[in-house]
Amino acid sequence: MPAAAKHPLFMHPETALLNNCLLVGAALFGLGAIGFLSRRNMIVMFLSVEIMLQGASLSLAAWGRFHNDFGGQTFVLFVIAVAASEAAVALALILTLYRRRCSLDVAAWHFLREADQPPFRDAPLPDEPAVGEPDPPLAPAGVRPRRPEEESQWRPEI
Amino acid sequence: MSNPQILMLSAFLAAVAIWLMLPRGGARGRWAGAALGAAALGLWLSRTHGLGHWTADGVFYALAAAAIVSAVGAVTSPNPIYCAIWFGMTLLAVAGLLLLVGAQFLAAATVLVYAGAILVTLLFVLMFAQPEGRATCDRVSWEAGLSAAAGIALVGILSAAVGSAVSPTIAAQSPQALAAGVLDPRQTARLGEELFGRRLIAVEVVGTLLLAALVGAAVIVNRFGGRRRDDQKS
Repeated sequence: MPAAAKHPLFMHPETALLNNCLLVGAALFGLGAIGFLSRRNMIVMFLSVEIMLQGASLSLAAWGRFHNDFGGQTFVLFVIAVAASEAAVALALILTLYRRRCSLDVAAWHFLREADQPPFRDAPLPDEPAVGEPDPPLAPAGVRPRRPEEESQWRPEI
Repeated sequence: MSNPQILMLSAFLAAVAIWLMLPRGGARGRWAGAALGAAALGLWLSRTHGLGHWTADGVFYALAAAAIVSAVGAVTSPNPIYCAIWFGMTLLAVAGLLLLVGAQFLAAATVLVYAGAILVTLLFVLMFAQPEGRATCDRVSWEAGLSAAAGIALVGILSAAVGSAVSPTIAAQSPQALAAGVLDPRQTARLGEELFGRRLIAVEVVGTLLLAALVGAAVIVNRFGGRRRDDQKS
Protein backbone atom coordinates (compact mmCIF):
# COMPACT_ATOMS: atom_id res chain seq x y z
CA MET A 1 0.00 0.00 0.00
CA PRO A 2 2.73 2.59 0.66
CA ALA A 3 3.84 2.43 -2.97
CA ALA A 4 0.28 2.86 -4.16
CA ALA A 5 -0.36 5.66 -1.69
CA LYS A 6 2.10 7.87 -3.55
CA HIS A 7 0.04 7.69 -6.72
CA PRO A 8 -1.92 10.94 -7.14
CA LEU A 9 -5.16 9.12 -7.97
CA PHE A 10 -4.91 6.69 -5.07
CA MET A 11 -7.89 6.85 -2.77
CA HIS A 12 -8.28 5.12 0.58
CA PRO A 13 -10.79 2.24 0.22
CA GLU A 14 -13.18 3.83 2.71
CA THR A 15 -13.11 7.15 0.85
CA ALA A 16 -13.50 5.31 -2.45
CA LEU A 17 -16.57 3.48 -1.13
CA LEU A 18 -18.10 6.80 -0.05
CA ASN A 19 -17.32 8.35 -3.43
CA ASN A 20 -18.80 5.44 -5.40
CA CYS A 21 -21.96 5.17 -3.32
CA LEU A 22 -22.57 8.91 -3.55
CA LEU A 23 -22.22 8.71 -7.33
CA VAL A 24 -24.73 5.86 -7.59
CA GLY A 25 -27.10 7.70 -5.24
CA ALA A 26 -26.86 10.82 -7.41
CA ALA A 27 -27.64 8.79 -10.54
CA LEU A 28 -30.68 7.15 -8.94
CA PHE A 29 -31.93 10.53 -7.75
CA GLY A 30 -31.57 12.11 -11.19
CA LEU A 31 -33.21 9.18 -12.98
CA GLY A 32 -36.15 9.31 -10.59
CA ALA A 33 -36.44 13.05 -11.26
CA ILE A 34 -36.57 12.38 -15.01
CA GLY A 35 -39.35 9.86 -14.49
CA PHE A 36 -41.34 12.19 -12.27
CA LEU A 37 -41.04 15.05 -14.75
CA SER A 38 -41.75 13.17 -17.94
CA ARG A 39 -44.14 10.28 -17.26
CA ARG A 40 -47.88 10.82 -17.27
CA ASN A 41 -49.07 7.66 -15.53
CA MET A 42 -49.62 8.43 -11.83
CA ILE A 43 -48.38 5.00 -10.69
CA VAL A 44 -45.14 5.41 -12.64
CA MET A 45 -44.68 8.90 -11.16
CA PHE A 46 -45.07 7.37 -7.70
CA LEU A 47 -42.43 4.71 -8.51
CA SER A 48 -40.08 7.45 -9.73
CA VAL A 49 -40.36 9.25 -6.39
CA GLU A 50 -39.50 5.97 -4.67
CA ILE A 51 -36.37 5.69 -6.85
CA MET A 52 -35.34 9.20 -5.75
CA LEU A 53 -35.78 8.17 -2.10
CA GLN A 54 -33.62 5.09 -2.70
CA GLY A 55 -30.81 7.27 -4.02
CA ALA A 56 -31.00 9.52 -0.98
CA SER A 57 -31.02 6.50 1.38
CA LEU A 58 -27.90 5.05 -0.22
CA SER A 59 -26.04 8.37 0.15
CA LEU A 60 -27.05 8.67 3.82
CA ALA A 61 -25.90 5.13 4.62
CA ALA A 62 -22.56 5.75 2.86
CA TRP A 63 -21.97 8.96 4.84
CA GLY A 64 -22.87 7.15 8.06
CA ARG A 65 -20.21 4.55 7.41
CA PHE A 66 -17.63 7.14 6.43
CA HIS A 67 -18.11 9.09 9.66
CA ASN A 68 -18.40 5.89 11.71
CA ASP A 69 -21.69 7.10 13.12
CA PHE A 70 -25.09 5.43 13.43
CA GLY A 71 -26.83 8.68 12.53
CA GLY A 72 -26.77 7.82 8.83
CA GLN A 73 -28.51 4.48 9.32
CA THR A 74 -31.04 6.10 11.66
CA PHE A 75 -31.84 8.64 8.98
CA VAL A 76 -32.35 5.87 6.43
CA LEU A 77 -34.86 4.22 8.75
CA PHE A 78 -36.73 7.50 8.99
CA VAL A 79 -36.63 7.81 5.19
CA ILE A 80 -38.18 4.35 4.92
CA ALA A 81 -40.93 5.35 7.39
CA VAL A 82 -41.65 8.57 5.51
CA ALA A 83 -41.69 6.62 2.24
CA ALA A 84 -44.25 4.24 3.71
CA SER A 85 -46.47 7.15 4.79
CA GLU A 86 -46.08 8.75 1.39
CA ALA A 87 -47.00 5.48 -0.32
CA ALA A 88 -50.18 5.14 1.73
CA VAL A 89 -51.36 8.68 0.99
CA ALA A 90 -50.25 8.58 -2.66
CA LEU A 91 -52.03 5.32 -3.39
CA ALA A 92 -55.17 6.59 -1.66
CA LEU A 93 -55.06 9.73 -3.82
CA ILE A 94 -54.44 7.69 -6.98
CA LEU A 95 -57.44 5.50 -6.12
CA THR A 96 -59.61 8.57 -5.56
CA LEU A 97 -58.52 10.30 -8.75
CA TYR A 98 -58.95 7.09 -10.74
CA ARG A 99 -62.51 6.67 -9.51
CA ARG A 100 -63.33 10.21 -10.60
CA ARG A 101 -61.91 10.03 -14.11
CA CYS A 102 -61.35 6.32 -14.83
CA SER A 103 -57.86 7.18 -15.99
CA LEU A 104 -54.40 7.18 -14.48
CA ASP A 105 -53.40 10.04 -16.77
CA VAL A 106 -52.45 13.24 -14.93
CA ALA A 107 -53.57 15.15 -18.02
CA ALA A 108 -57.15 14.22 -17.08
CA TRP A 109 -56.78 16.88 -14.38
CA HIS A 110 -55.55 19.63 -16.66
CA PHE A 111 -58.41 21.93 -15.64
CA LEU A 112 -56.39 22.60 -12.49
CA ARG A 113 -53.97 24.66 -14.63
CA GLU A 114 -53.59 28.40 -14.28
CA ALA A 115 -56.29 30.61 -15.74
CA ASP A 116 -54.32 31.94 -18.70
CA GLN A 117 -52.91 28.61 -19.86
CA PRO A 118 -54.37 26.92 -22.95
CA PRO A 119 -56.14 23.58 -22.38
CA PHE A 120 -54.14 20.43 -22.99
CA ARG A 121 -54.92 18.47 -26.13
CA ASP A 122 -53.49 15.07 -26.93
CA ALA A 123 -52.09 14.75 -30.41
CA PRO A 124 -53.63 11.80 -32.29
CA LEU A 125 -51.48 8.70 -32.00
CA PRO A 126 -50.95 5.96 -34.57
CA ASP A 127 -52.49 2.66 -33.55
CA GLU A 128 -50.13 0.12 -32.05
CA PRO A 129 -49.72 -3.05 -34.08
CA ALA A 130 -51.74 -5.84 -32.49
CA VAL A 131 -49.70 -8.64 -30.95
CA GLY A 132 -51.01 -12.17 -31.40
CA GLU A 133 -54.59 -13.30 -31.84
CA PRO A 134 -57.36 -11.25 -30.20
CA ASP A 135 -59.21 -13.01 -27.41
CA PRO A 136 -62.46 -14.67 -28.54
CA PRO A 137 -65.54 -12.77 -27.35
CA LEU A 138 -67.94 -14.39 -24.92
CA ALA A 139 -71.43 -15.20 -26.12
CA PRO A 140 -73.87 -12.58 -24.73
CA ALA A 141 -76.17 -14.00 -22.08
CA GLY A 142 -78.69 -12.62 -19.59
CA VAL A 143 -80.18 -9.16 -19.43
CA ARG A 144 -78.15 -6.09 -20.30
CA PRO A 145 -77.82 -3.96 -17.15
CA ARG A 146 -79.20 -0.45 -17.34
CA ARG A 147 -76.54 2.24 -17.01
CA PRO A 148 -77.31 5.79 -15.99
CA GLU A 149 -77.11 8.16 -18.95
CA GLU A 150 -74.79 10.52 -17.07
CA GLU A 151 -72.31 7.78 -16.26
CA SER A 152 -71.75 6.84 -19.91
CA GLN A 153 -70.12 10.22 -20.53
CA TRP A 154 -67.13 9.56 -18.38
CA ARG A 155 -66.94 5.83 -17.61
CA PRO A 156 -65.81 3.72 -20.56
CA GLU A 157 -67.89 0.66 -21.22
CA ILE A 158 -66.09 -2.52 -20.31
CA MET B 1 -9.43 13.96 -22.27
CA SER B 2 -9.60 15.49 -18.85
CA ASN B 3 -12.14 14.59 -16.22
CA PRO B 4 -14.70 17.41 -16.74
CA GLN B 5 -14.77 16.73 -20.47
CA ILE B 6 -15.45 13.04 -19.87
CA LEU B 7 -18.25 13.98 -17.48
CA MET B 8 -19.84 16.37 -19.99
CA LEU B 9 -19.57 13.85 -22.81
CA SER B 10 -21.17 11.11 -20.75
CA ALA B 11 -23.95 13.47 -19.61
CA PHE B 12 -24.69 14.41 -23.23
CA LEU B 13 -24.75 10.74 -24.28
CA ALA B 14 -26.98 9.82 -21.34
CA ALA B 15 -29.47 12.63 -22.06
CA VAL B 16 -29.77 11.56 -25.71
CA ALA B 17 -30.08 7.91 -24.64
CA ILE B 18 -32.90 8.60 -22.21
CA TRP B 19 -34.65 10.84 -24.71
CA LEU B 20 -34.49 7.96 -27.21
CA MET B 21 -35.81 5.45 -24.69
CA LEU B 22 -38.69 7.48 -23.23
CA PRO B 23 -42.06 6.75 -24.84
CA ARG B 24 -42.84 9.58 -27.26
CA GLY B 25 -45.88 8.37 -29.12
CA GLY B 26 -44.29 7.27 -32.34
CA ALA B 27 -41.19 5.17 -32.87
CA ARG B 28 -38.73 4.82 -30.05
CA GLY B 29 -35.06 4.10 -30.58
CA ARG B 30 -34.91 1.52 -27.84
CA TRP B 31 -31.76 -0.30 -28.78
CA ALA B 32 -29.93 2.77 -30.02
CA GLY B 33 -30.80 4.42 -26.70
CA ALA B 34 -29.62 1.38 -24.75
CA ALA B 35 -26.29 1.35 -26.62
CA LEU B 36 -25.72 5.08 -26.07
CA GLY B 37 -26.75 4.69 -22.42
CA ALA B 38 -24.28 1.84 -21.91
CA ALA B 39 -21.51 4.01 -23.38
CA ALA B 40 -22.50 6.90 -21.10
CA LEU B 41 -22.63 4.59 -18.07
CA GLY B 42 -19.16 3.23 -18.87
CA LEU B 43 -17.70 6.73 -19.22
CA TRP B 44 -19.44 7.88 -16.04
CA LEU B 45 -18.20 4.88 -14.05
CA SER B 46 -14.65 6.04 -14.82
CA ARG B 47 -15.25 8.59 -12.03
CA THR B 48 -15.43 5.80 -9.46
CA HIS B 49 -12.39 4.52 -7.60
CA GLY B 50 -11.20 1.04 -6.78
CA LEU B 51 -12.26 -0.35 -3.42
CA GLY B 52 -8.94 -2.02 -2.68
CA HIS B 53 -9.85 -5.62 -3.49
CA TRP B 54 -11.08 -7.15 -6.72
CA THR B 55 -14.05 -8.96 -5.15
CA ALA B 56 -15.31 -5.74 -3.57
CA ASP B 57 -14.82 -4.01 -6.92
CA GLY B 58 -16.70 -6.73 -8.79
CA VAL B 59 -19.62 -6.76 -6.37
CA PHE B 60 -19.85 -2.98 -6.39
CA TYR B 61 -19.78 -2.58 -10.17
CA ALA B 62 -22.30 -5.39 -10.69
CA LEU B 63 -24.72 -3.89 -8.15
CA ALA B 64 -24.25 -0.32 -9.36
CA ALA B 65 -24.84 -1.28 -12.99
CA ALA B 66 -27.91 -3.32 -12.00
CA ALA B 67 -29.31 -0.42 -9.96
CA ILE B 68 -28.81 2.19 -12.67
CA VAL B 69 -29.91 0.03 -15.62
CA SER B 70 -33.06 -1.10 -13.82
CA ALA B 71 -33.82 2.48 -12.74
CA VAL B 72 -33.61 3.53 -16.40
CA GLY B 73 -35.91 0.64 -17.25
CA ALA B 74 -38.41 1.62 -14.56
CA VAL B 75 -38.45 5.22 -15.76
CA THR B 76 -38.68 4.55 -19.49
CA SER B 77 -40.78 1.41 -19.85
CA PRO B 78 -44.15 2.18 -21.49
CA ASN B 79 -45.85 -0.66 -19.61
CA PRO B 80 -46.57 0.10 -15.92
CA ILE B 81 -46.25 -3.59 -14.99
CA TYR B 82 -42.71 -3.64 -16.34
CA CYS B 83 -42.04 -0.34 -14.53
CA ALA B 84 -43.00 -1.99 -11.23
CA ILE B 85 -40.88 -5.08 -11.93
CA TRP B 86 -37.85 -2.99 -12.95
CA PHE B 87 -38.31 -0.97 -9.78
CA GLY B 88 -38.23 -4.19 -7.76
CA MET B 89 -34.85 -4.95 -9.33
CA THR B 90 -33.57 -1.46 -8.47
CA LEU B 91 -34.63 -2.12 -4.93
CA LEU B 92 -32.77 -5.42 -4.69
CA ALA B 93 -29.63 -3.81 -6.13
CA VAL B 94 -29.83 -0.91 -3.65
CA ALA B 95 -30.32 -3.41 -0.81
CA GLY B 96 -27.15 -5.15 -2.00
CA LEU B 97 -25.28 -1.82 -2.02
CA LEU B 98 -26.51 -1.16 1.53
CA LEU B 99 -25.07 -4.55 2.52
CA LEU B 100 -21.79 -3.56 0.87
CA VAL B 101 -21.78 -0.37 2.92
CA GLY B 102 -22.32 -2.53 5.99
CA ALA B 103 -25.91 -1.64 6.85
CA GLN B 104 -27.30 -5.15 7.29
CA PHE B 105 -30.50 -4.25 9.09
CA LEU B 106 -31.33 -1.55 6.55
CA ALA B 107 -30.82 -3.93 3.63
CA ALA B 108 -33.27 -6.40 5.16
CA ALA B 109 -35.73 -3.66 6.12
CA THR B 110 -35.64 -2.17 2.62
CA VAL B 111 -36.44 -5.50 1.00
CA LEU B 112 -39.19 -6.31 3.51
CA VAL B 113 -40.90 -2.92 3.41
CA TYR B 114 -40.63 -2.33 -0.31
CA ALA B 115 -41.56 -5.86 -1.35
CA GLY B 116 -45.00 -5.13 0.07
CA ALA B 117 -45.05 -1.77 -1.69
CA ILE B 118 -44.19 -3.41 -5.02
CA LEU B 119 -46.91 -6.02 -4.59
CA VAL B 120 -49.48 -3.34 -3.80
CA THR B 121 -48.36 -1.33 -6.81
CA LEU B 122 -48.62 -4.37 -9.06
CA LEU B 123 -52.13 -4.96 -7.72
CA PHE B 124 -53.03 -1.37 -8.48
CA VAL B 125 -51.69 -1.65 -12.00
CA LEU B 126 -53.64 -4.87 -12.61
CA MET B 127 -56.77 -3.33 -11.11
CA PHE B 128 -56.54 -0.21 -13.26
CA ALA B 129 -55.43 -1.97 -16.42
CA GLN B 130 -57.12 -0.52 -19.46
CA PRO B 131 -59.32 -3.10 -21.14
CA GLU B 132 -58.81 -1.63 -24.62
CA GLY B 133 -55.06 -1.76 -25.06
CA ARG B 134 -52.33 0.49 -23.82
CA ALA B 135 -53.37 3.91 -22.57
CA THR B 136 -52.32 7.09 -24.32
CA CYS B 137 -50.70 8.39 -21.15
CA ASP B 138 -48.24 5.47 -21.18
CA ARG B 139 -47.31 6.04 -24.79
CA VAL B 140 -46.53 9.77 -24.57
CA SER B 141 -44.25 11.65 -22.16
CA TRP B 142 -44.30 15.28 -21.19
CA GLU B 143 -41.37 17.03 -22.88
CA ALA B 144 -39.14 13.95 -23.04
CA GLY B 145 -36.11 15.88 -24.28
CA LEU B 146 -36.30 18.71 -21.76
CA SER B 147 -36.87 16.48 -18.75
CA ALA B 148 -34.07 14.11 -19.77
CA ALA B 149 -31.72 17.10 -20.16
CA ALA B 150 -32.77 18.53 -16.79
CA GLY B 151 -32.40 15.25 -14.90
CA ILE B 152 -29.05 14.40 -16.46
CA ALA B 153 -27.79 17.93 -15.77
CA LEU B 154 -28.73 17.32 -12.13
CA VAL B 155 -26.76 14.05 -12.12
CA GLY B 156 -23.78 15.78 -13.73
CA ILE B 157 -23.74 18.63 -11.22
CA LEU B 158 -24.09 16.21 -8.30
CA SER B 159 -21.26 14.04 -9.68
CA ALA B 160 -18.98 17.04 -10.08
CA ALA B 161 -19.83 18.11 -6.52
CA VAL B 162 -19.05 14.62 -5.20
CA GLY B 163 -15.77 14.64 -7.11
CA SER B 164 -14.69 17.93 -5.54
CA ALA B 165 -16.00 17.18 -2.02
CA VAL B 166 -14.60 13.67 -1.67
CA SER B 167 -10.93 14.22 -2.39
CA PRO B 168 -8.25 11.57 -1.76
CA THR B 169 -6.77 13.77 0.97
CA ILE B 170 -9.66 13.70 3.45
CA ALA B 171 -9.04 11.45 6.42
CA ALA B 172 -10.80 8.09 6.47
CA GLN B 173 -11.62 5.94 9.48
CA SER B 174 -9.26 3.12 10.32
CA PRO B 175 -10.58 -0.48 10.14
CA GLN B 176 -10.16 -0.81 13.92
CA ALA B 177 -12.33 2.24 14.58
CA LEU B 178 -14.96 0.97 12.16
CA ALA B 179 -14.99 -2.47 13.75
CA ALA B 180 -15.69 -0.81 17.09
CA GLY B 181 -18.29 1.48 15.51
CA VAL B 182 -20.71 0.89 12.65
CA LEU B 183 -19.22 -2.47 11.62
CA ASP B 184 -19.57 -3.96 15.09
CA PRO B 185 -20.80 -7.59 14.99
CA ARG B 186 -23.60 -6.47 17.33
CA GLN B 187 -24.45 -3.75 14.84
CA THR B 188 -28.23 -4.21 14.81
CA ALA B 189 -28.41 -4.17 18.59
CA ARG B 190 -26.35 -0.98 18.65
CA LEU B 191 -28.59 0.60 16.02
CA GLY B 192 -31.55 -0.24 18.25
CA GLU B 193 -29.82 1.30 21.25
CA GLU B 194 -29.19 4.44 19.22
CA LEU B 195 -32.79 4.57 17.99
CA PHE B 196 -34.45 4.04 21.35
CA GLY B 197 -31.86 6.00 23.29
CA ARG B 198 -30.66 9.21 21.70
CA ARG B 199 -33.36 9.34 19.01
CA LEU B 200 -36.35 8.25 21.07
CA ILE B 201 -38.37 11.41 20.46
CA ALA B 202 -37.75 11.24 16.72
CA VAL B 203 -38.91 7.61 16.67
CA GLU B 204 -42.09 8.60 18.48
CA VAL B 205 -42.68 11.42 16.02
CA VAL B 206 -42.22 9.04 13.08
CA GLY B 207 -44.71 6.64 14.66
CA THR B 208 -47.20 9.48 14.91
CA LEU B 209 -46.54 10.36 11.29
CA LEU B 210 -47.28 6.78 10.20
CA LEU B 211 -50.51 6.81 12.18
CA ALA B 212 -51.52 10.16 10.68
CA ALA B 213 -50.76 8.88 7.17
CA LEU B 214 -52.83 5.76 7.78
CA VAL B 215 -55.81 7.78 9.06
CA GLY B 216 -55.38 10.26 6.22
CA ALA B 217 -55.36 7.54 3.57
CA ALA B 218 -58.51 5.98 5.03
CA VAL B 219 -60.25 9.37 5.13
CA ILE B 220 -59.25 10.25 1.58
CA VAL B 221 -60.51 6.98 0.17
CA ASN B 222 -63.75 6.93 2.18
CA ARG B 223 -64.80 10.53 1.87
CA PHE B 224 -63.66 11.48 -1.61
CA GLY B 225 -63.30 8.13 -3.31
CA GLY B 226 -66.96 7.16 -3.67
CA ARG B 227 -69.17 7.66 -6.68
CA ARG B 228 -68.65 10.86 -8.57
CA ARG B 229 -70.84 13.62 -7.26
CA ASP B 230 -71.93 16.76 -9.04
CA ASP B 231 -68.55 17.45 -10.50
CA GLN B 232 -69.35 19.85 -13.31
CA LYS B 233 -65.79 20.91 -13.99
CA SER B 234 -63.79 19.98 -17.05
